[in-house]
Amino acid sequence: MTKTKIKDPLPAVPPARLNMWLFMVSSSMLFAATVSAFIVHRPDAQSRQAWTAFDLPIFFFYSTIIVILSSVTIFYAQKSAKTDELSANKNFLLLTTVLGIAFCVSQYLGWQQMVRLDLTFVNARPEDISASYVWVITVLHFVHILGGIGLLIATWIQALHLNVHKKSLGLMTITHTYWHFVGVLWIFLYLFLYFAE
Amino acid sequence: MSTAALHADSHHDHHEHKESFISKYVFSMDHKMISKQFLITGIMMGIVGLVMSMIFRLQLAWPDEQFGFMETLLGKWAVDGKLDPNFYMGLVTIHGTIMVFYVLTAGLSGTFSNLLIPLQVGARDMASPFMNMLSYWFFLASSITLLSSVFIETGPASGGWTVYPPLSALEKAMPGSGLGMTLWLSAIALFIISSLLGGINYISTVLNMRTKGMSMNRMPLTIWAFFFTAILGVLSFPVLLGAALFLIFDRSFGTSFYLSDIYLEGVGALENIGGSPVLYQHLFWFLGHPEVYIILMPALGISSEVISTNARKPIFGYTAMVISLMGISFLSFIVWGHHMFITGMNPFLGSVFMILTLIIAVPSAVKAFNYLTTLWKGNLRFTPAMLFSIGLVSFFISGGLTGIYLGNAALDIQLHDSYFVVAHFHLVMGSAAIFGMFAGIYHWFPKLYGRMMNDTLGYFHFWITFITAYLVFFPMHFMGLAGVPRRYYQFTLVEDFNVWMDVNKLITVSALIGGAAQLLFLYNFFYSIFKGKKASANPWQANSLEWSTPVERLHGNWPGEIPTVYRGAHEYSRPDREEDFFPQYIPDESAPEVLHTEDHKVAPEEKSPEEVESSVFFAAIKRVFGLS
Amino acid sequence: MFKKSLAVLSFILAPLMLLAADVIEPPKEFSFANYDWITIMIVVLVLLIVLVIARAFDIGALTEKLSGKKVVSWNNVNAWMAIIFIVAGLIGVFYELQVHGPLLMLGNSASLHGETYDSMFYITFGFTFFVFVVMEILLFYFMFRYRYNENRKALYYFHNNKLEIIWTIVPSIVLTFLVLRGFTTWSKITTEIPKESQEIEVFAYQFGWKARYAGNDGSLGNQNFNFISGSNPLGVAEEGQVTELVTELKNEIVKLEALQASAPDSINAWKGAYDRFVATGLDRTFPEDFKTLKNKHNDGISGAYVRTLIKDIGRKRTALNRIAEYRKDVDFFDGTANDDKVTTEIVLVKNKPYIFKFRARDVIHSAYMPDFRVQMNCVPGMPTQFAFTPTMTTADARQIKNKPEYDYYLFCNKICGAAHYNMKIKVTVVDSDAEYNTWLASQAPLVAPVVVEQVPAKTDSKNDTTAAVKTVAMN
Repeated sequence: MTKTKIKDPLPAVPPARLNMWLFMVSSSMLFAATVSAFIVHRPDAQSRQAWTAFDLPIFFFYSTIIVILSSVTIFYAQKSAKTDELSANKNFLLLTTVLGIAFCVSQYLGWQQMVRLDLTFVNARPEDISASYVWVITVLHFVHILGGIGLLIATWIQALHLNVHKKSLGLMTITHTYWHFVGVLWIFLYLFLYFAE
Repeated sequence: MSTAALHADSHHDHHEHKESFISKYVFSMDHKMISKQFLITGIMMGIVGLVMSMIFRLQLAWPDEQFGFMETLLGKWAVDGKLDPNFYMGLVTIHGTIMVFYVLTAGLSGTFSNLLIPLQVGARDMASPFMNMLSYWFFLASSITLLSSVFIETGPASGGWTVYPPLSALEKAMPGSGLGMTLWLSAIALFIISSLLGGINYISTVLNMRTKGMSMNRMPLTIWAFFFTAILGVLSFPVLLGAALFLIFDRSFGTSFYLSDIYLEGVGALENIGGSPVLYQHLFWFLGHPEVYIILMPALGISSEVISTNARKPIFGYTAMVISLMGISFLSFIVWGHHMFITGMNPFLGSVFMILTLIIAVPSAVKAFNYLTTLWKGNLRFTPAMLFSIGLVSFFISGGLTGIYLGNAALDIQLHDSYFVVAHFHLVMGSAAIFGMFAGIYHWFPKLYGRMMNDTLGYFHFWITFITAYLVFFPMHFMGLAGVPRRYYQFTLVEDFNVWMDVNKLITVSALIGGAAQLLFLYNFFYSIFKGKKASANPWQANSLEWSTPVERLHGNWPGEIPTVYRGAHEYSRPDREEDFFPQYIPDESAPEVLHTEDHKVAPEEKSPEEVESSVFFAAIKRVFGLS
Repeated sequence: MFKKSLAVLSFILAPLMLLAADVIEPPKEFSFANYDWITIMIVVLVLLIVLVIARAFDIGALTEKLSGKKVVSWNNVNAWMAIIFIVAGLIGVFYELQVHGPLLMLGNSASLHGETYDSMFYITFGFTFFVFVVMEILLFYFMFRYRYNENRKALYYFHNNKLEIIWTIVPSIVLTFLVLRGFTTWSKITTEIPKESQEIEVFAYQFGWKARYAGNDGSLGNQNFNFISGSNPLGVAEEGQVTELVTELKNEIVKLEALQASAPDSINAWKGAYDRFVATGLDRTFPEDFKTLKNKHNDGISGAYVRTLIKDIGRKRTALNRIAEYRKDVDFFDGTANDDKVTTEIVLVKNKPYIFKFRARDVIHSAYMPDFRVQMNCVPGMPTQFAFTPTMTTADARQIKNKPEYDYYLFCNKICGAAHYNMKIKVTVVDSDAEYNTWLASQAPLVAPVVVEQVPAKTDSKNDTTAAVKTVAMN
């Protein structure tokens, strides 16, 4: 092992973080596509009496509150990591993970509510195209949340190994950014669906 | 493991790692090897696509002839040597899909973005080598899925490469819409993932990992082209994913996003109501139009670089070229409607799309003029790469001009889906892009394999391909103007189309000769990999950074420090220099240039986290516009 | 890292392999005689010849290198090739214009707006052809003129604002002109529809076209895709046909329900037959029969058979419900459809404005009449239209083209299936109303005109008009 040490210039932004941002841009485009499909499709279907307006399940509202809470906790998790408060960091991460899971449960209950109202994904009635859209949008978002929970757990495990601290914020920052992203995304989607329906 | 941590660790040990066969050639994370993987897979897919086009060209030229070998080749799809109409549609569809996505998107952009971005901006590898490797493997999986769909009983997807529903959504509407279509959709989904992984990496490498002195306005035009291409891909491929998802739901779950008011022979009235088939077209073409530029722009970038190097002249109007690329990229997102003038869309919307579409002609014209001026008073070295680049410019002019007809909503009424369209996009997008790919292969072959390709064979390859390509596609304009529709299995059933029989034969014969000429290329390519003349470090006396790396492949690209960049990449024939080139990485002793002084390479640890957090993205944005 | 990669790869490939196991047919038995050996030999021969030529060039290059003498100066060859190419190419272009120019659909428009269209085309052509010729000549001339010369140094010339501004502005001006012209042409074609235009419904299906003319009452009756049946291919709202369809659907439901009831027996029977096939080795003797049986057996075992039956029944019930909804609406079945005429040819009168209303039954088609410069997609569930005025009769066209057999056609121009290439309908333009009337009189209306009978309100006691056209189907 001959070691000639060469100092390469460091990139301005950690590559993983920039990649995460680009991924978020790209996945926003996916949601933009579904949402604009919704917007374009609605008047068309309405003119043919094939669109139902219905109230969103109340659980989706609870989900929104959970998401806001979890944004606060992840914010504190990040803050405590920056100030090297390791145990607070661990706790906040765990709390956020739990809130994330609570969000999933709430979404599930919301879907159950929709099924009970006969607003199924595969519509027996033509008017339920609107329901199909709600399903597609919420499930796509749910997939993103699952990814976020995965990241949270990974970060938490790293935190248990004392790998998350002031000098090593890479994973923490990515998780923090991503979790805010899915949170904001959900709030946007909820408001959109709420006012569009 | 050390490769993954390449950039995480500021102290990089650069000695040659012991690489096993598998980590070197198969699961390689070296961008150069991945680029070779993309190239070879792309060439293989290209051969398949080309052979498919030969088969349906034979059918179009001699519809009544029986070709015994077709039965040998295709079995039940060509009983008694006559091609089955369903399979004809399948061939057309898969030919289009392969050429558009697999050869000209992944094969071209994947190969050269991977090879050139780190080498030309001065990075040891991509931002995330692992993602880069994944990108290739998703691409390979996607290719295999697509090819497997040709071998199934009901045949491959056959609704045209645009797979418009309801045709593609209804299994009973045509055999190809069954399992073949499912496989097509899975293949495209995998492909989208591959190209997103790749695209994210390209953008992030260009923005973030340029070497000292390599400001945005010193980047070679290739990098600019790849950069905009990647942006287009990252923004538009997710939309295609959305369109494909809705289609999958309609096909397999029974939703009605795209389906409405359908009665199928043998099935009866379907339950779906309220769907909108045109919605799919909107979503599809929102990708589909940028996709055209995803294909073309890397080719334009490559040809700019090759022409500048071999004309021994700086590229004329570097800034104008960059702005044109930027303009084309931006406009490409708001013109998708010109593919849909006659779908019954609102006429006013049609005129808006027409205006926006014709604006694109302006940056394209600027590019063409700049190419010409770069050639003017140059000292042209006719390497095969140079010839192919000039061929590209020729196709870009003749194919681009017909775009002015098709972008005009009124003229599109008659020309839409006629052979005129086939001629248009095969020239401007197909031939031009494939010529860009050939130019790239001939030019960077020494960088890829450390050997030279045979020039003489290259000349023959170029002239035969160039002439036959014109012979194939130019007469198609006339067929289109005479009202001959595309995607017809044969033309003998309409008396009036019979006059084009001779033209069809000419086209097919030219296509066969052109196809055979590709054998010269294949021979040249594979022979030179093993037996070609050994290349020198900078065989073309080029300026850009990739020629400062050693000839032998090295993981990490440079044995020592990454060179610093002192000027733009196109400084050829400077009057104050004796030599006609002046590499970017060689400092100018006579007039030492002021380096970019702003210290943007400060490690994050040295700043407080909040500061880093807020400055990081402003820094990134600044660098996009070359402010730092 | 290797393990990680392998895991990722298997993650990607596993579903594919599972899929492939089901998908790829086992190879047929290899038989020597079935192969077209002559063609294979020819292909091999061609490959060999190419290889030999390629090798020859390689050796040629080697001798050049060894002897140090240039046998061929490729610099000059390529430069002269450029000149030969551009000269021959331009001759080719002009030859094409001479030979194929007269065949083009230009300057012989058979419709009113077609003339505007043609003039638009000529303007664009004049501009682009000029640019095309000039730029291609310049390109290849530069290629020849500035070929490599070791005594010369290229001009260091990288920038000229004035020049660049000129060639941004000039195309912009030309394009503005084209855009404005195109805009007016397009608006004129798509929005200026004369009020007195006669409506004709053009109906597309896999694989053919039908046209519907209004009868004596001068208006086209309603239609709905749920009414489509063998005898009513356009789904016109005509009482007798729809009643027939309802009976038919009810019978089919009964039949399907009987099948569903006997499903366990059928599945058992298939299973027995399948086992016998396998046990006796008949599967090798009758591979086709075995394949059919295997499909049935598999569908039976997996439940797909029953699911299909249930789905079919459901679909037919939905159709019935929807038809019932429509029949509640008196206005929908107002009898205007009864005298409509469904024809297999389109006949138009010269110089009369028409508006074609397009409908499609199954997939997207596109109605393309190149002689009239007309094209419009036919989309299921989305009515489209195109208005135009024919100005040239079929007889005129025959005379001008000097082809006594010439006919106008409406082609399908959107990929729609295997017989897409043969999906067309004849369009005839006649000189006078008299000819048109004679032809129309010869076409049979949907309901024979003797039965002049106003259909009374529906048997349904509840005439709930508020729930009118709503296409609700509950089940």
